[in-house]
Amino acid sequence: MDKFEKAFNDIIEKDLKVEPRDWMPEKYRKTLIRQVSQHAHSEIIGMQPEGNWLLRAPSLRSKQVLLAKIQDEAGHGLYLYSVAETLGISRQEMNAQLHSGEAKYSSIFNYPTLTWADMGAVGWLVDGSAIVNQVSLQRTSYGPYARGMVRICKEESFHQRQGYEIMVKMAFGTPEQKEMAQDALNRFWEPSLMMFGPHDADSAHSSQSMAWKIKRESNDHLRQRFIDRTVPQAEYLGLTIPDPNIKWNEETGHYDHSPFNWDEFWNVVNGNGPCNQERLDHHKKALSDNTWVREAAAAYAVKTENVVA
Amino acid sequence: MDLTIKNNEAKFLVRLADTSLILGQRLAEMCSNGPFLEEDIALSNISLDLFGRAEEMYKIICDIEGNNFTPDDLVFRRNEREYFNIKLVEQPNEDFAWVIVRQFLHDIYVQEVYTQLLNSENSEVVGLAQKVLKEVRYSYIHSKDWMERLGLGTEESNARVQSAVDHQLKYIEEIFAFDELDKTYLADSDQLRSVWENDVNATLAACNLERKEIMPLTMRDFRDGFHSEHIGHLLSIMQYLPRAYPDAKW
Repeated sequence: MDKFEKAFNDIIEKDLKVEPRDWMPEKYRKTLIRQVSQHAHSEIIGMQPEGNWLLRAPSLRSKQVLLAKIQDEAGHGLYLYSVAETLGISRQEMNAQLHSGEAKYSSIFNYPTLTWADMGAVGWLVDGSAIVNQVSLQRTSYGPYARGMVRICKEESFHQRQGYEIMVKMAFGTPEQKEMAQDALNRFWEPSLMMFGPHDADSAHSSQSMAWKIKRESNDHLRQRFIDRTVPQAEYLGLTIPDPNIKWNEETGHYDHSPFNWDEFWNVVNGNGPCNQERLDHHKKALSDNTWVREAAAAYAVKTENVVA
Repeated sequence: MDLTIKNNEAKFLVRLADTSLILGQRLAEMCSNGPFLEEDIALSNISLDLFGRAEEMYKIICDIEGNNFTPDDLVFRRNEREYFNIKLVEQPNEDFAWVIVRQFLHDIYVQEVYTQLLNSENSEVVGLAQKVLKEVRYSYIHSKDWMERLGLGTEESNARVQSAVDHQLKYIEEIFAFDELDKTYLADSDQLRSVWENDVNATLAACNLERKEIMPLTMRDFRDGFHSEHIGHLLSIMQYLPRAYPDAKW
């Protein structure tokens, strides 16, 4: 072991942070690029299912809150792309990897948002699972990522409350609104739980990531924490969790649940979800339609720099 | 529900509120469609300012009208002909150049309007104008910077921004066809026009853009609730939920 590797191992061992200029194993760097860029892409692609209802938000307040929320997500994407850039990859490269399918984003965003209640369910369940994961990542070993997470978590907790507020209004509203709320819960419950990733035994990247303290808690552990927190919230809303086997287990001190449909999960991850094509096409189109804008900005910058020089 | 606005000052103010709302909605369409992430965020910011400004103005209007209706009623329950925004802000986002030109022409106009409203006798309006001016200053810097970048950038960007200017200048004349209400509530309506003309002419010239002679189009006045065809589509999307579920609270 050379002195660089020893220094790196010491940092991990002592729970200190790895910084961009520190030596790090190539595989640590690659793993982080994969994880952080996937996280960034998720924030950016996640703007679309919510953007689907932005123009139809039913009150001035809900419209402003939703727009502010989507804008926050763009901001989170920006922090995270910057984190990945410190590891030696450019935003263009990351976009190219997203478009080629080499880089993934959270599969949950491949599901369609069909009614306004979905804006509630996405905030409550999708942002809710994201927070559980992100709170844990505040202690991740890569410094820029950990610091980004601290800031992101503050905003995400607002997002979850925004979602739950919509659920409250819908669940206690007219019979039609309550029906929409239940329907949204039915559709988003299981995909939200699968957001935590495969079971620990089946997770390809988990053990090395845990050893490097990139990941601090296991998928199953985080998932269970989210379930335990969310079931009582559904009860308060008077909504039914779409799983007949959800019940409190005195012995374990957790809720039991049915097995998940992992076939569906992998099918969506592999590109065959309801909106995979649409999400990627939208992202590509926004970039390609505006190539001329970026070219103009670059040409203008060159001209004005020359003037200054 | 009768949403007729009867008071003269409220009739004047609703033009500004509607203009702000409709432009906010148009900019919200750009969310996740911007040329790059930073600009996407900037456009959302400006959209949020416009919605906030509209909401505050509707509150003032509702107060004046005795609170027989709410800002949400005004936004979600009025029909096309009950809206009083300038036609410029209804124009679609054909490309990024259209977004910028529309914003720039609008920003110069509202910057001077709200400057004049600092002299209003209504203290609520003065308070709002003070807040709006801070926001508009940023929006104006943003749109003017882009006018420069696009006008002086590449041949293509210059052609696109020129085409947007040619189209959108058609919707300007009506803004300056002031009626008695404008003359009552604006401190100096003539100055509004001259400030606007000076800035537009200087900016276009500095950005290598031409201001072509435009024959006045036959077009009815926005002050009487006349619009381009775009408004109906915009409202039907925006108002869908409250119209489809009239008893629901959101």
